[in-house]
Amino acid sequence: MFRRLALLAAVVVATAPAVRANVADVRKSVFRITNTLQAPDYRAPWNPGNIGRGVGAGFLISGGRIMTNAHVISDARFIEIEREGDPKKYPAKVEFVANDCDLAVLTVLDPSFKTGLKELEFGGIPALESDVTALGYPIGGEHLSVTRGVVSRVDYQLFSHSAVDSHLAIQIDAAINPGNSGGPVVQNGKVVGVAFQGYSGDVAQNVGYMIPTPVVTRFLKDIEDGKYDKYVDIALTTFHLLNPAQRAALGLKPDGNTGILVSSVMAGGSCDGLVQRGDVLLTIDGLTIYSDSSVQIDGERVEMPEVVERKFKGDKIDFVLLRNRQEIKVTVPLKNADPYLIQAFSYGVRPRYFIYAGLVFQPLNRNLMAAYNFEDLHTRYHYNFYVIDQLFVDRPEVIVLASILPDRVNSYMNGHRGMVVDTINGKKIRRLEDVREAFDVSAPTFVVKMLGSGRPLVLQKAEVDAARDRIRNRYNLVSESYLGGEG
Amino acid sequence: MRLLATAAAFALLLPTLSPAAPVTAATAPKRDRTADASVVRVTSTNQQTDLIRPWTRKAPFTRRGLGAVLPKNRVLITAELIQNYSHVELEKAESGERMEAKVLCVDYEANLALLEPAEPKYLAGMKPLDVVTDAVAGDTLRILQLESNDAVVSTPGPVTTVEVARYQIDDASFLLYRLSLSLPVKESSFTAPVLKENRLAGMLLRYSPQSQTADVIPGPVVAHFLKDFEDGEYRGFPRAGFQFASTRDPQLRQYANMPAGNGGVYVTDVVEGMPADKAGLKVGDVLLALGDAQIDQDGNYNEPLYGRITVSHILSTKNQAGDKLAFKILREGKPMTLEVTLEKKAARDYAVPPYIFETLPNYVIAGGLIFQELTRSHLKEWGNEWRRAAPQRLVLYDQQQTQLIKPPRKRVVFLSQVLPTAATVGYNELAFLVVTKVNGQPINELADLPKALEKPVDGFHKIEFEDHPREIFLDAAQTAEVDQMVKKTYRLPALSRLK
Repeated sequence: MFRRLALLAAVVVATAPAVRANVADVRKSVFRITNTLQAPDYRAPWNPGNIGRGVGAGFLISGGRIMTNAHVISDARFIEIEREGDPKKYPAKVEFVANDCDLAVLTVLDPSFKTGLKELEFGGIPALESDVTALGYPIGGEHLSVTRGVVSRVDYQLFSHSAVDSHLAIQIDAAINPGNSGGPVVQNGKVVGVAFQGYSGDVAQNVGYMIPTPVVTRFLKDIEDGKYDKYVDIALTTFHLLNPAQRAALGLKPDGNTGILVSSVMAGGSCDGLVQRGDVLLTIDGLTIYSDSSVQIDGERVEMPEVVERKFKGDKIDFVLLRNRQEIKVTVPLKNADPYLIQAFSYGVRPRYFIYAGLVFQPLNRNLMAAYNFEDLHTRYHYNFYVIDQLFVDRPEVIVLASILPDRVNSYMNGHRGMVVDTINGKKIRRLEDVREAFDVSAPTFVVKMLGSGRPLVLQKAEVDAARDRIRNRYNLVSESYLGGEG
Repeated sequence: MRLLATAAAFALLLPTLSPAAPVTAATAPKRDRTADASVVRVTSTNQQTDLIRPWTRKAPFTRRGLGAVLPKNRVLITAELIQNYSHVELEKAESGERMEAKVLCVDYEANLALLEPAEPKYLAGMKPLDVVTDAVAGDTLRILQLESNDAVVSTPGPVTTVEVARYQIDDASFLLYRLSLSLPVKESSFTAPVLKENRLAGMLLRYSPQSQTADVIPGPVVAHFLKDFEDGEYRGFPRAGFQFASTRDPQLRQYANMPAGNGGVYVTDVVEGMPADKAGLKVGDVLLALGDAQIDQDGNYNEPLYGRITVSHILSTKNQAGDKLAFKILREGKPMTLEVTLEKKAARDYAVPPYIFETLPNYVIAGGLIFQELTRSHLKEWGNEWRRAAPQRLVLYDQQQTQLIKPPRKRVVFLSQVLPTAATVGYNELAFLVVTKVNGQPINELADLPKALEKPVDGFHKIEFEDHPREIFLDAAQTAEVDQMVKKTYRLPALSRLK
């Protein structure tokens, strides 16, 4: 829920397990997953993408399903699963994927696959310092690897797969290597986490992270109804209230230790119209909110978002808050907070684009930013401040002239690459569909204006029409647009 | 935050001693006594302002170079040599006699400064240099440098191009001569006069050992600087305040109702309040000529000495601030003439000053919170990549200042950091937050802040920010006491500076 903007240089890897007496049983239920993937090329969005292979781990859970990380099966075209000591390779398919918490559930078509295998059960949150065993298939390894470590820390952590979502994660000191993702971390024969990320060796050593069972079981519960509804978000930013003067000014006891200040409410988010900037949140679902933004659940101090983390789409949350020194009760129906997604890596989706006169228009998002690293001030502003300044209200999509396929119809337009499209023939561009519509009218001339200073781009329809086949053939454009949906 | 900007500029002139190519006999530096009577050594002790700790200056350091002796007891150097100077000293090459110098005039954009010895007779008997403005591509110029043993050496090299290009301050572009030569790198050569025969053709701007090219601040820029100084108040190199785009694109020419095949550029930006704006220039106008100079499709005109160079040379260097210039334009296809009175907008007159040298930064400390006014120099503390690395809200204010900062707002006031004390618990992580109001009063410049703090509301100072956490409070009764404690704990000389 609190998506942090900090960037982590986390490399996605899996923990290696350490085995005790009953691990022999467990290990048979841990698989090697080979994913043949096709990652879209945002610089050539009309292409089907480059084909690559990745290896990770997974394990058998209830219903004969296989649990793994979302990043193990991202952009999958063909998935094969291998059992320890069995030469056969079993094709599998993705049933559910949760990119916001890096988990996925697969199924294998061949029913003989699970014969003799134990479905692993989930435990709770392991105690600090307790031993855990991680199982997986580290770099290049064909055989199961087992390493042991202790639980070092339980904390909120940015999940580097989407790069915007933070959830509870458990840090362990078992050796962590790329390729092991999705493997189980076990304690007393039960799975207490799914290994998923670590740091590259030059940042920190012996630091590996696993997704703990509250996150895993939430995912499994969410998909019970046959679809994954994603995490919900209260879509508020809050500020701790530790300063005595600030507390007193807001009508709280200066030496008290409860209450947090609402500093912004996302337009269209769960709390829009219900909570206001300047409100002080006192309780959430009856739990006292402490002034460092923590709550106590089952005797443990956890961050307040943990309460929301456990909820599902459509669930409600109750706040008691202080507004103008009056306590009021507010019930908030929870929904997703989509504007954040501009800064999230997306997977398994075709890049959307529209090409006209060799000008390639694409919606701004993290994948596009990663492909081009745009310099333009307005483009960067729309990317960095999209949520903070609520720019999504005005522009549900920020359309960028991402690149230009050179042709004589656009020879003098190169300086405009990477700029945000403001209007086409006076019509404001608020989503990719608007670009298609703007060029779909019968006008002799199209005038494209960018945000910021710069000259307009002027296109004569007759010339563009004449250039169309030439550009399509020269650049092997399979299609001139993909606006979403089928096609 | 590291101060890299200055170091990088310094390194450009003074890289480690290893010119890439062997020095050929033809261009090898030679001991040169002919100029001894026309140059003096200049030693400047400088102290950089510290924008992160605005109450201090950084440790002093010295720069040395050669100044060119000019008529009327004056010495010309580059502004960089004395940037943030505390003490400037002249030293005669022959006798070693030293004399404190007074700084008469500095222009950081043109990178030139004029000195005068404290004792006028000091330069008696020396041979002042005349400034020549006629060097062109193909001429051979000599760059004079100071050896570590204080001897003057000269290195000849041909002028390969004359063009308008960037100087040291990022958006300042002026004419320069580019010379191709292998220059020995001397630590004592921060300023190096450039001669054509025995007259002053310019001053070395920078040298790149990689490409073995030297950029020289040319005679015409030096002459503009001197003329501006001579005629009374120094105003500096004017600007008109607009941007343009090439009109090579026939589709754009047709859209802008331009006659086929002719020159002219498309105006893309007119900065509010600047001369072009005052004269009525608008985005979408087509600029055809400045005075008698016809502008081509790329924004160049034909300069008799150099051929095609950009028209900004006419605006900045061929005219002085206060001069009037006819802008011949097409507006919606109709010819018009606008009379533009060129002006120089001083750095301090920008809402976000592009640089501050010599003047120490303003700041106010209240309740352990440090408030400052935004300057681009501050953002440059994040190094060469400051546009990406510095706090993005502040970068936005710098880059978009004319759009974002409108009267009555004069400056961007921001909380730069917190000096932790018991009173700042909960606030210690706050930094780089733009202040909008204090106690309900709008903060249009830093001077508004102490005034607003005189009127607490219900015993609290309410400080409002543009971004998260939006508002914080200080206990008004405690603030003065906290500040005295902060002053003592952190050994601050003063709790504010407001000029």
